[in-house]
Amino acid sequence: MSSIISARGLTKRYGRTVAVDNIDIDIPSGRIVGLIGPNGAGKTTALKAILGLATYDGELSVLGKNPSTQRAALMEEVCFIADVAVLPRWIRVHQLIEVTEKLHPGFSRERCMKYLGKTKVRLDHKVKQLSKGMVTLLHLAIVSAIDAKLLVLDEPTLGLDIIHRKDFHTRLLDDYLDEDRTILITTHQVEEVEHILTDLIFIKDGRIALESTMEDVQERFYAVEVEPDKISEARRLAPFYETRVRGGQHQFMYDGVDRDTLQNLGDTHIPRVADLFVAIMNGGES
Amino acid sequence: MNSLLALIKREFWENKGAIRTTPLVIGAFHVAGILMAVFTMSHFDADGYTTKMAIAELGKMSPEMRSEILYQGGLASSAFFAVVMSFVVFFYLLGALYDDRKDRSILFWKSLPASDTLTIASKLLTAMVLIPLAFLAVFILTHIVTAIIISITIALSDGNPWTLFIAESSPLKVWSMVAASWLATSIWSLPMFGWLLLVSSFAPRVPLLFATLPPLILTVLQGWIEFLQSFSLQGNLGSLIKDWFFNAPVIISAEISEEGAGPALGVPLTGDFDHAVTIANMLDRLFSMQMLAGLGVAAVFLVAAHWFRRRATES
Repeated sequence: MSSIISARGLTKRYGRTVAVDNIDIDIPSGRIVGLIGPNGAGKTTALKAILGLATYDGELSVLGKNPSTQRAALMEEVCFIADVAVLPRWIRVHQLIEVTEKLHPGFSRERCMKYLGKTKVRLDHKVKQLSKGMVTLLHLAIVSAIDAKLLVLDEPTLGLDIIHRKDFHTRLLDDYLDEDRTILITTHQVEEVEHILTDLIFIKDGRIALESTMEDVQERFYAVEVEPDKISEARRLAPFYETRVRGGQHQFMYDGVDRDTLQNLGDTHIPRVADLFVAIMNGGES
Repeated sequence: MNSLLALIKREFWENKGAIRTTPLVIGAFHVAGILMAVFTMSHFDADGYTTKMAIAELGKMSPEMRSEILYQGGLASSAFFAVVMSFVVFFYLLGALYDDRKDRSILFWKSLPASDTLTIASKLLTAMVLIPLAFLAVFILTHIVTAIIISITIALSDGNPWTLFIAESSPLKVWSMVAASWLATSIWSLPMFGWLLLVSSFAPRVPLLFATLPPLILTVLQGWIEFLQSFSLQGNLGSLIKDWFFNAPVIISAEISEEGAGPALGVPLTGDFDHAVTIANMLDRLFSMQMLAGLGVAAVFLVAAHWFRRRATES
């Protein structure tokens, strides 16, 4: 069992719509994986299958368990934050801590209090009295205090302002992360997490469009601002995506072409994840 | 076991208003009613003449008679608690597997290592045990406060509350009979509880309609077919539910027999069971063929509710 998550032919249909189409995923321990795709690409569906919240076809093993039949056992080692504000609104913070402590064998009240101490959340607050940002930090504090092997985050910062988003990511790195822990995160704000990711999975129309480590991404893909007189030469090297950037310049995106060759065509650099994502979604499969 | 208790505690936190406040309000009404009666009486009758007359009448009765009246009265005073409690349980169960789907907090609850079986068990036990115990506690409290008020009134009217009243009352007998009656009713009501949990587990919205419309429509259809066939209106789901309620082992109505009037189990309009308030009559119901069939129905509903719960995410 080297993989934390291992899927073979994972498929989920809603009536005639195929939300997840026969995908294979392997996520080893200790990675921070960004699962990135446009709206409706099947990200949340895939996560629900992984968390045992939905039925599926195909083989799926999470920490060696079958999520669809062993959800309760699996949740002893997996934590999950689904976008913002899924904490029950009627509950008080101390009640939330008590119920988590009693249900979760790996929960440490002491650590939770330590993390909460860094926020403005008080124990007698009701969740409905807290702002979205505070609820998210409360949820993160609880999750960080659980000794879990896998943390699944589904758009955890949706609807938060930039200050709370940054705060969330800092806390995630400081409080949650260590070498034994794996994080699977979906987000639209790719640029804010790209520096913490170790792996990328792009998903498009229910299929995997890219599965790669960040190191490989940085060695494989180049973006070139092609000089106007070299455009036809550049096209012969089979870019998978062409776009116009500011100033009318042509930007070409290449997969697996030698950097020295590309540098003759113009300014060559490693693309940002967000740009690569747009290129792969709009261009061909890489 | 600890997880189950934690989940039941969670139910109490979420439904404090229904489980704790509601019986307290009923108890307060009871006490206020008695106080008002006492004050009204003393307002019109400053010398306490009427009260003294009543005490004198009470004194003429045999101790056995006094004891019986106090016992029957104690049982009867539980009926109003039982009626309100049944509403509380009904709406509690309708929301039990519905509310967290509606406000999306199911995604949090499902992220905790508690199985769906345990979750459903905690909700069922809340309805069957926790809510009756909460109502029982307040009923007992109300009973004690009432007894104190009556004792003071008797004492102020120069009567002896001990010989006239306290020595003849058997509160433990009343409380244990009411407790037995309510817990037996929880078991008797399992088919209904199962149905409400099932509706709660799948209803996309307005669970109240999903809970009441199908039995209503089925009853009307059955009644119609029956009427076309035999010009009678018997043997449909509605009359089955009605009989089920009439046979319930809950102290809710009165029966007039040769020995006089007294509280009764259920509504004494069916001949299936004896309606006198005794433990034997409660057990008679729990060990009947009806109950056995009812448990089968409840099991089907609960398995179906579990099936839906396992697949449920936010709706």
